[in-house]
Amino acid sequence: MLTIQRVWRLQEKLIKLVGSECMNCGYVCYPPKAACPRCCSREVKKIQLPRVGKVLSYTVLKVPVEGFESKSPLIIALVELGKARILTQLTDVGADEIYIGMPVEATIRKSPQMIEGAAHYIIKFKPTIKK
Amino acid sequence: MRKAYIVGVGMTKVGKFYDKSIRELAAEAVFKALDEAGNEKPDAIVVGNMLSSLAEQENLASLIADYTGLRGISGFKVEGACGSGGAAFLAGCSFIASGIFKKVLVVGVEKLSERPTPATSRGLAWAADADYELVHGVSFAGLNALVMRYYMSKHGVSREEMAAWPVLMHENALQNPYAQLKKKISIEDVLKSPVIAEPVRLYDASPLSDGAAAVVLASEEVARKLSDTPIHVAGLGNALDSTDLTSRYELDRLLASKLSAEKAFQMAGVSSKDIDVAEIHDAYGVTAAISLEELGFAPRGKGAKLVYEGRFRAGDRPAVNPSGGLKARGHPVGATGIYQIVEVALQLRGDFPGINVGGEVGLTQNLGGVGANVTTTILRR
Repeated sequence: MLTIQRVWRLQEKLIKLVGSECMNCGYVCYPPKAACPRCCSREVKKIQLPRVGKVLSYTVLKVPVEGFESKSPLIIALVELGKARILTQLTDVGADEIYIGMPVEATIRKSPQMIEGAAHYIIKFKPTIKK
Repeated sequence: MRKAYIVGVGMTKVGKFYDKSIRELAAEAVFKALDEAGNEKPDAIVVGNMLSSLAEQENLASLIADYTGLRGISGFKVEGACGSGGAAFLAGCSFIASGIFKKVLVVGVEKLSERPTPATSRGLAWAADADYELVHGVSFAGLNALVMRYYMSKHGVSREEMAAWPVLMHENALQNPYAQLKKKISIEDVLKSPVIAEPVRLYDASPLSDGAAAVVLASEEVARKLSDTPIHVAGLGNALDSTDLTSRYELDRLLASKLSAEKAFQMAGVSSKDIDVAEIHDAYGVTAAISLEELGFAPRGKGAKLVYEGRFRAGDRPAVNPSGGLKARGHPVGATGIYQIVEVALQLRGDFPGINVGGEVGLTQNLGGVGANVTTTILRR
């Protein structure tokens, strides 16, 4: 279950794009790790990932998991952000408009999942509008 | 290191059994396996299970041991998501290899029919990263859909080519009396089946299943007394990848499968060319395609294409998933790894009640998560 204390603990992770970068070999990872998966070094630092990226793969969930029934179908994508990736919901886009390589940017939105009757916010990605 | 042998096997039919509890399913498989091995009391039990918490039951080793008349023996549960069975088997073999115990019962059991599908889906997604993936609402089918779309796009694999796997598995399962899905399907049926998570359709995915399977392991000396047809556990390997799919080095690969297979091949002194029959972890068609590649049965990016061209049937080498696989035999997650071992042991004995391909050397490959925890086993007649 998603509890209030878990959302509080995760608040930075839910709305900020903080990854880890290895000071030894330079490997960038998201989700961040306490040590580098590639060279095992514990000399890793937190880094801010770019807020713009492109869709690497995507899916449209027709069978929701418990807690997400209110927002179905949910669009989930793996988004490439520089040297890392994030798994995220896509918003402000129709399922038939998405393509691999589509440019997207981060936005903070309400999560469809309620916690003990309260809403919480989470990072999502939306198509980048060319200005 | 002492050699370990399989001296007894047992399994229940795979399906949805609303009238049977975890302990009843386990007991059916345990009694069959023990009866094959002279019905001697084992020294220990190892249980493979992922989601008994859905039925509000943990502490499975004591529950099953006590229910089956084995109160007082040693044991515990091993968990590695859908790879729990393979991992439990490895733990059981290491008991024999170390000499701590001479007879070990390994049982995999799972009951997914206890709760409504959204609740079970959520439970299965616990195999992914709860803080970074499940929090966004992704299901396990969704994670595999992301891999499938990437794999098809990168390697130029068509939707029809991806559909050949479920068609072959349904065909194989027709003859397996233990299989859950006994229905012949066509490529067109796959392409018309309902979407679960685009591009994954119902027939691309393994079903939700209940079931239990068990093996009795013994040291060489004990095995000779208990069985005329002991199967040698020649190689074992396990490897871990990230729990999250997000930070994988390559999305169209299963690194832990490759590493665990290398370990198992090295221990057994064989290579992929020596395998006569294999049971691999085809939770989704794309999982099968990539697994064929990581096990050395297909070149990279060609797994699905070779299936479409007619490879891996009975009569081919290796014959892959003559049981019907997770896709059609069914996928009682924590029990699946033990089903695979029982099936391959029966193939090598010449006793498999479905498509019997025989052979000298067999392989099983059991995945937990999207290939986060993989156990490969090499069995020899």
